[in-house]
Amino acid sequence: MPSLVEFLQSIVNGVGVGLIYGLVGIGFCVIYNASGIVNFAQGVFVMLGGMVCEVLLTQLGIPLIFAVALTIPLVAVSGIVMELAIVRPMMHRGATLFAVILATLAAQIMIERITLLTFGDRPRTYHEFTTGGPLKIGDVAIGYQLFWILGCGALLVLLLWLFFTRTRTGRALRACSQNREAAQLLGIPVARMMLIAFALSAALGAIAGILVTPTQYTAYNVGTPFGVNGFIAAIIGGFGRAGGALAGGLLLGVLQALAIVALGAGFKNVAALSFLLVVLLFFPNGLFAGFGKGAKAH
Amino acid sequence: MTSHVTTSIEPSGIRWQSILPIVAVLALAGLGLVSSDYIVTVLGFAFIYAIFCTGLNFFMGYTGQASFGQSAFAAIGGYGSAILCTDYGWEPLLALLATMVLSGIAAVLVGYPTLRLRGHYLAMATFALGLIVYEITIEWTALTQGYMGYSGIPPLGIAGFALDTLKHQLVALVVLSLIGVGIAARLRQSRFGRALASIAGSESAAQALGVDIARYKLIAFVIAALYASAAGSLFAHFVGFISPEIYGTTMVIQSFAMLYLGGIGTMWGPMIGAIIVSILPEALRGLKEMQDIAYTAVLIFILIFAPRGLAGLSVLFRRAHGRVQEKA
Repeated sequence: MPSLVEFLQSIVNGVGVGLIYGLVGIGFCVIYNASGIVNFAQGVFVMLGGMVCEVLLTQLGIPLIFAVALTIPLVAVSGIVMELAIVRPMMHRGATLFAVILATLAAQIMIERITLLTFGDRPRTYHEFTTGGPLKIGDVAIGYQLFWILGCGALLVLLLWLFFTRTRTGRALRACSQNREAAQLLGIPVARMMLIAFALSAALGAIAGILVTPTQYTAYNVGTPFGVNGFIAAIIGGFGRAGGALAGGLLLGVLQALAIVALGAGFKNVAALSFLLVVLLFFPNGLFAGFGKGAKAH
Repeated sequence: MTSHVTTSIEPSGIRWQSILPIVAVLALAGLGLVSSDYIVTVLGFAFIYAIFCTGLNFFMGYTGQASFGQSAFAAIGGYGSAILCTDYGWEPLLALLATMVLSGIAAVLVGYPTLRLRGHYLAMATFALGLIVYEITIEWTALTQGYMGYSGIPPLGIAGFALDTLKHQLVALVVLSLIGVGIAARLRQSRFGRALASIAGSESAAQALGVDIARYKLIAFVIAALYASAAGSLFAHFVGFISPEIYGTTMVIQSFAMLYLGGIGTMWGPMIGAIIVSILPEALRGLKEMQDIAYTAVLIFILIFAPRGLAGLSVLFRRAHGRVQEKA
């Protein structure tokens, strides 16, 4: 039986990684809303974020703030390339849904292998943004990086909300998600919106990867768990609103942390994946069949 | 949703088009038998994958569904055979059949809730399935020996009669894969196969025609799982060693590359694709390290520019051929 300290500690850990899942989940939603596609390569942006940042920071010795400022646009470009080279030609040719999903999955594996050949299979990490810590509350230790994750997560949700409600581009993206043909008729450049959605989504993944790497490690193959868990977060949250995906991520992160305490670290992904199957079992169309309408309407 | 399935039904009677692939396969196998063991190994993999893809084609090509987690059933077959044969001294053929039954039961249990899903959710749920089994093969070391893998798996055989040489095994694999294609072809042309094609065309129309969609999908899924399980077992017996990576995401991508290259929804597509994709990296020697990148590149290229694969070319040919006949 785990003690109270263990229990609280696992919840603290779960909150951190859960917020990351939430950010990845938002990335899924941004692309899905704009294009109707679930990008199975979403996790690869997280991996690239961590890897590129590590290379810039540790190998090239660039200061943290510049490394981050460089990493995010670099990864965003990878999202743009994916849209231009794979998704767009397939959509133009009227490819089936499963074919597009498969192509994004293939893209993920291709990027992973290229990363493996370029940087090797050594797991990498870098120091936390603020050194020192962890903060001790009783026997529960809270790493400073968790506060960075919390702060950046909150800031990002606020910025996204402002972007989607206050800017022309954000509103145009929402118009695309409601009805692409109507948006086109209103003169919204739908093709460019899809490009923006992929870039934004990749940038979100990159930020998640940059934030989470100090608390664990990054390697060429960390993308898939992040992608799948982000997808689960998006489903729980209703596949529409950013806040929902973030809340879904938190729930999943905490559940997973508790599963680690109960079952051991090795089975954390099995626990999350089983949870996905259970969620899908009871909500065969996803939770957003119930909540989605409310999310779209606001 | 559009489907790749051609709804036309092949006329009965044997035509040269249906004999030609068999002859080609046998010729290739014969060529393999007089070559080095290395080439025999490559061809062996090709025919194992042909079995795997023929099953996958049943579920994706004929029925118009998607499973990104068929590697799970191959893992059950492979590890089942490995454990039963090395730890319990079972007959390889018996172990192969027993693990097929196990995979079938697993497919029913998993498919029953999962196959109600559609689109992205079906894709993600089946993908999750493959990942769950992959993680278990790594983490449940007491059962699977984790990354260490299982070695010393005996070659295929029954009642003391074992296929000791690689060439004997290749013959067995060719025969088994041809039987596999034959069974799939017979099922495709049966009442059951036509029901699957109707589901692929339009689920609501199929339902209106009285097709029990849930049941037929489940049966197609189970058949695909049986093929995958057999392929997994055969791999274990052929190589004598298995580890978690063999039944990982790479297997999924590789099999899809084969299926789409050969032509999804066609009778010979899976086997043609399996052979070409298996031989290609061997032909281009320098590609070894880049193998996975080449697979994914080929797959993406086909998905964009030729979603019907090489079999699409044969349809063109047949159309031209038909026109000539009409004129005559």
